[in-house]
Amino acid sequence: MITLENVSKSYNRGRVRAVDDLTLTVRPGEIFGFLGPNGAGKTTTIKMIVGLLRPDAGRIAVEGFDVASDGLRAKQVTTYVPDTPAVYERLTGLEYLNFIGDVYGVPREARLERIGAWLEVFELAPVITNPIQSYSHGMKQKIVLAGALLPAPRVMVLDEPLVGLDPRAAFQIKEMFRAHCDAGRTLFFSTHIMEVAEKLCDRIGIIHKGRLVACGTMPELKALGRTEGGPSLEEIFLELTGR
Amino acid sequence: MSGPAGGVPRRLAAVVRTGLRSNFGLAVIKYRLLVEKKDRWLVPLFAAAALGAVPMFWSLVLFIENAYLVLRPMGQERALLSCGLLAGQILVLIFGVYFVIAAFYLSRDLEFLVPLPLRPGEVMAGKFAVIVVNEYLTVAAVVLPVVVTVGVLARAGIGYWVNATLVYLALPVIPLAVVSLAVVAMMRFVAVSRKKDALILVGSLALIGLSFLAQISLGRSAGSVGPGTGSEALAAFFTSPDNLLNRIGAVFPPSIWATKAIAAGFSAEGLSNLALLLGVSMALFAGLVAAAEALFYRGLVGLGETAGRRRRLSRDEMSRRLTSGRRARAAIFGREWKIMNRTPIFLLNGVLVSVFVPALFVLMSTVGRSRTGGTARIDVAALLATLTAAKPHVAILGAALFMTVCGVLNGTAASAFSREGGQFWISRTIPVAPREQAAAKFLHSCVVAALGVVTAAVVAAAFFRLKPAHLGPAFLLALAAGAGLAAVGMMIDLARPLLDWTNPQKAIKQNLNVLLAMLADVGILTAAYFAARSLIRADLPPGIVLGIVFAGLAAFAAAAYAALLRFADRRYPGIE
Repeated sequence: MITLENVSKSYNRGRVRAVDDLTLTVRPGEIFGFLGPNGAGKTTTIKMIVGLLRPDAGRIAVEGFDVASDGLRAKQVTTYVPDTPAVYERLTGLEYLNFIGDVYGVPREARLERIGAWLEVFELAPVITNPIQSYSHGMKQKIVLAGALLPAPRVMVLDEPLVGLDPRAAFQIKEMFRAHCDAGRTLFFSTHIMEVAEKLCDRIGIIHKGRLVACGTMPELKALGRTEGGPSLEEIFLELTGR
Repeated sequence: MSGPAGGVPRRLAAVVRTGLRSNFGLAVIKYRLLVEKKDRWLVPLFAAAALGAVPMFWSLVLFIENAYLVLRPMGQERALLSCGLLAGQILVLIFGVYFVIAAFYLSRDLEFLVPLPLRPGEVMAGKFAVIVVNEYLTVAAVVLPVVVTVGVLARAGIGYWVNATLVYLALPVIPLAVVSLAVVAMMRFVAVSRKKDALILVGSLALIGLSFLAQISLGRSAGSVGPGTGSEALAAFFTSPDNLLNRIGAVFPPSIWATKAIAAGFSAEGLSNLALLLGVSMALFAGLVAAAEALFYRGLVGLGETAGRRRRLSRDEMSRRLTSGRRARAAIFGREWKIMNRTPIFLLNGVLVSVFVPALFVLMSTVGRSRTGGTARIDVAALLATLTAAKPHVAILGAALFMTVCGVLNGTAASAFSREGGQFWISRTIPVAPREQAAAKFLHSCVVAALGVVTAAVVAAAFFRLKPAHLGPAFLLALAAGAGLAAVGMMIDLARPLLDWTNPQKAIKQNLNVLLAMLADVGILTAAYFAARSLIRADLPPGIVLGIVFAGLAAFAAAAYAALLRFADRRYPGIE
């Protein structure tokens, strides 16, 4: 579970308000899609959830652990995938996964089983002993995803996780998202792909200029629209964010 | 040869302008100082550092003045200029290898530059210009004091100062062009190899080795005074005008041209030498641009093709390669170790430099030996033996200082956090306490410092004949000092980590934190020197003096380490 209570964050000494009084709860077993135009505050919110940025005000908790005061325990149950796969290029894929396994304390048998499974899904098995610098952009994205899945975290936070992936990998990732949350875990991700959000997410939040302008299930969001016959998510998004 | 749309000078100016802005981060500095108001504390710090450097420069100026007054009656005063100019050019030659490889081939902005409608020669010329500007700053400390002091003492006219300005602007061009041509040729072969990183490392070490060899032959050339023996040969040598200048410049003639261009001002000799220097500089630069047209992109494009065999591991193999139960601190140490040793620029500047510095002392003793007919090394050893006999603890403290300097004169500790660059998000999101991460990085920095201390100990034992009984205590003192200084360097880097670099060179070689840490090291070692001197002057028994110094250094190391861990806990969450 992820809880944000009245969270605000500004830059340039308050001149740019990136996130404005955001309150939100993502429940266990839920896939939560976070939408918003460029610069709306999506990445800032995600970075605050995983402890990369400190909110100016408000409180964020992950599985009940306060990110500010109990950050280490919050991190123990969370993994994060950034929007760009900046990862240790001089390590091999296997060394990177081993490193993640070590710092999250993943036991050997679980490590063997999970790494084997994800390498097959992501088709990384033949290159796993090669340096990451030899990987393509998509392969780097996949190795970061495999690293995030390795600890089988209670909460996964992902920033644009489908960008750069081929259709096959994107499909498998979406399947993985569903399986992850069906096991009672929480998934929070941002995306620009309306179709993915509409079909995959249990609930969707739309952020605009730092404020949460809508939040709910797809039927709840449709009820907000003024379009005859039920608007698409894209239409709702454009309407709420000022086209 | 017609280029893409737009004039060559305009495109080149755009590449150079953007390169300079990106390299020096002027927009970022302005933004951080004036908009974010984050780095304002650095302004007084730099002012203090500049003031702190004044006494050192004043001593250098006095030394140059004395040398000038000695050499002038013999008509050899131009040799002073030549020494300064040559030292600057040799500096460019040695360290230029790092700059050129990093800027031409490892910089990430090449990904944006190569697809632009620019010729390879224009991209390389732009990069070259940025390195030249960097080198102006590097050689300023060596060249400017000599040129300015000699000019003032000689009451030089306008010709001296105008030519000196032009010479200074052209000074790095010849050595850098020579290095660049060698690197471009080398990288053409590196690019087609599977072991690119290893070849870059070996090739750059070979180029640096050649530069060192040039220095050795320079020392030998300058050292021999010609046929004959004793005072007669010496007198004949010094009474022939400019003999010393010609000897010094024999290995690298551009330093003679530069000297004569400055010293002779607007005379025919001055102008002809200036024309020679500028002409050769431009010819070499043109040659480099021509070589770039043929070779640059072929080396660069091949470099981006990282080879990787496709091989699936069996379950047993996978099981064997998986670690488990390893503590987080060990995992982070392993990560630091692998990334440092597998990144050529980090390995060269952070690890191998620990071996270079003691090796330089060996080279210096080799040069000295040739100058004095094979006695310099023995003289140093004999001097140490004399000191050891009179006050053994002085020799131990001196050796400890030597070992400490060799151990900490690398950028490892002061770039411990900066080296993570764009990957720092991983350290921020993994469930490992910042103090644990800092402890692992500290251990890594100490291992690298210990490598320098051990190499220095070998040099001290083999070349300066330090007795084993003195080596042991000196080694322990150096380790304690090295640990403390590593913690200080890491705290400096943690205070303002440079994480947005696009070129690994910037993380370690051009990282201001490394310079700040070196200044801090000088300050701390100076304080330790005065403390040890006061203990020696108090006529305490040698064992007591060494014991107190060791206890002081160990306490300093422990306090610095504890402060580092506390600071890591406090600072990590604030790094955005």
